Amino acid sequence: MEMREKLGSYLSFLNKYSAIIALAIIVIYGTLFVPHFMSVANLKAILFQYSIIGFLALGQLLVIITGGIDLSQGSLVAFTSIVAAVLMAQIGLVPAVVGAVLFCSLLGLFSGLLVSRTKIPAFIVTLGMLGIGRGLAKFVANAKPVPITDEFFRSMGRAELIGVPLCAILWVIASIMLYQFLKRRRLGRYIYAVGSSEESARLAGINIKKVKLFVYTMSAFLTSIGALIWASRLGSGSPIGGIGYELESIAAVIVGGASLYGGTGSVVGTMAGVMIFGVINSILNLSGISPFWQGAIKGILILSAVALSQIQMRRSRKA
Amino acid sequence: MAKLLEKIMPSEKANDAKGSLGSTRKSLNSNLKDIIQLLGVLLGMIAFAAILSKGVFIQPINLYNILTQNCILLVVSLGQLLIIITKGIDLSVGMIVGFSSVLIVLTQDFGSVLPILFALGAVIVIGIASGCLVHYAKLPAFVVTLAMSQIVYSIGKVIGGGAAVYSGFNGSPISPGLLSLYTDGIFGIQYPLIITLVCIIAISLYLKTSIGHFTYTIGGNQKTAYLSGVPIARVKITAYIIAGLLACIGGMLFVARVGLGDPQAGDALTMDSIAAVTVGGASLSGGAGTVVGTIIGVLILGVLNNILNLLNVPPAIQPAIKGGLILLAVYLNSRKISER
Repeated sequence: MEMREKLGSYLSFLNKYSAIIALAIIVIYGTLFVPHFMSVANLKAILFQYSIIGFLALGQLLVIITGGIDLSQGSLVAFTSIVAAVLMAQIGLVPAVVGAVLFCSLLGLFSGLLVSRTKIPAFIVTLGMLGIGRGLAKFVANAKPVPITDEFFRSMGRAELIGVPLCAILWVIASIMLYQFLKRRRLGRYIYAVGSSEESARLAGINIKKVKLFVYTMSAFLTSIGALIWASRLGSGSPIGGIGYELESIAAVIVGGASLYGGTGSVVGTMAGVMIFGVINSILNLSGISPFWQGAIKGILILSAVALSQIQMRRSRKA
Repeated sequence: MAKLLEKIMPSEKANDAKGSLGSTRKSLNSNLKDIIQLLGVLLGMIAFAAILSKGVFIQPINLYNILTQNCILLVVSLGQLLIIITKGIDLSVGMIVGFSSVLIVLTQDFGSVLPILFALGAVIVIGIASGCLVHYAKLPAFVVTLAMSQIVYSIGKVIGGGAAVYSGFNGSPISPGLLSLYTDGIFGIQYPLIITLVCIIAISLYLKTSIGHFTYTIGGNQKTAYLSGVPIARVKITAYIIAGLLACIGGMLFVARVGLGDPQAGDALTMDSIAAVTVGGASLSGGAGTVVGTIIGVLILGVLNNILNLLNVPPAIQPAIKGGLILLAVYLNSRKISER
């Protein structure tokens, strides 16, 4: 009996820190066996590339904690980049950036409205939004990439602060803010409450509709920030960009220990999840494995992470 | 119908059986009503298109073209329908179309029939994998099939070198027999239409068999189905296998039509098939949906495409319109169900 309890606590410890442990193992593997992995240039490249997914994953985390899912993020990346690029040529940098973030958040608000007020499942609402976002992006851009000429905007995506990519610093700051929000603010706690049991949350007097509206809007808002970094690095807005990004953010959140059934998930786990994908991606590139395999590896990782969280849930239910 | 229900319900529960028999009859009636409504929408759209195009639209040749253009979508949608009836969803059908097109072209070295059998075999494996993960591991269908779509897409790119493929591994060209599918036919009807018709009949018959009918039972209420002794695993996994097989046939038709294999061939088909099935009256909460409805759903999408072209709507915005259409259809269906 004691053995079993010990094993149980051991397992729950492993589960809590599994993402970080996995990240550590992969990094150690990379350092020992993959040439050029532990170089400043490579680490910077990972941070540059994956802080974009990082922003998306923070938004996805909020949605997944409530038991929902946001499949529209990839399209919203394209949409935001196009709106920003088109507006920048017309009305200047600051209004364009504000406008792009606003428009993207509005689409998120629309998803939130549909999820909270109708019985349409979240994945269908956001799948529909995936089509709508992509269509709008192509329509506004006339199905062609739109170049961005603003030098300041273009330099931001490559900017560094004391040798660390600026976008990565912004991502860490956003993560800390979100961590504090989820831990200390009332609305943050409500998000977990809605995810663990909607019925109990409703009986406790929580305004579920408001919470759901908030998470989908936030997801679009954070996506738009990632999209701006992406557009800045690309130097243009692209209507066909961001395809499949939602999958990476979902994968990062799930690998980071969140359950698709809601109620669990942490900012730290999500950050580790994002970095796991960044590091794996980098190792694959450096070892000369065809980039075409990456989709398969991502798919298998998602499936195993979801399956593991499922097993965990069944175990905790039995206990 | 009554016989089937007796088969499902044990004789001691005669009263229950009577009750559900009544409700089945009612839902049959409302099914008929839904289909008449859908037909009305379709005819209205056709009339609108005819007026817009000053009669060009309803010329037989144009109507025939709409049919042949939407063969692949219809075949794929039939598979999507089966899965949606079980309360699942298949986000991988589009990528399976692309994957099978690549596989069929790359294996052209082995003759003209063997490549298609290879592809069918491969998608059966994919279907079993998805079905098992959904049923035994109890993972949400959309996650399983989304991940599966990435895996399949990725494998398609790896074996094809990342781009479209035009000939087999050893350079054999695509067999003329396959390419002639779209040019030849019997009695003036092109083969793709005949293949589609065969698929429609096969799925209709399958849904009439006892195991096929269980698809509805599972979607309606899995617990009841389990307690009534329905072999849930077999029914569910079969649904995923059939959806894969139909997507593979879609891939074959794509090769015949375009003359190449492309891992991205079916990109739009996933969304389009979900749109067609939901517009056709299937409910995402499972247990409802008909073959006839799905056929009309596909035709509505096809006519809609034509109308958009007639109105000079840029093709770029079409994904947005389809996305909106899915949301509208699902919303209306969910309201209809809560009214009942």
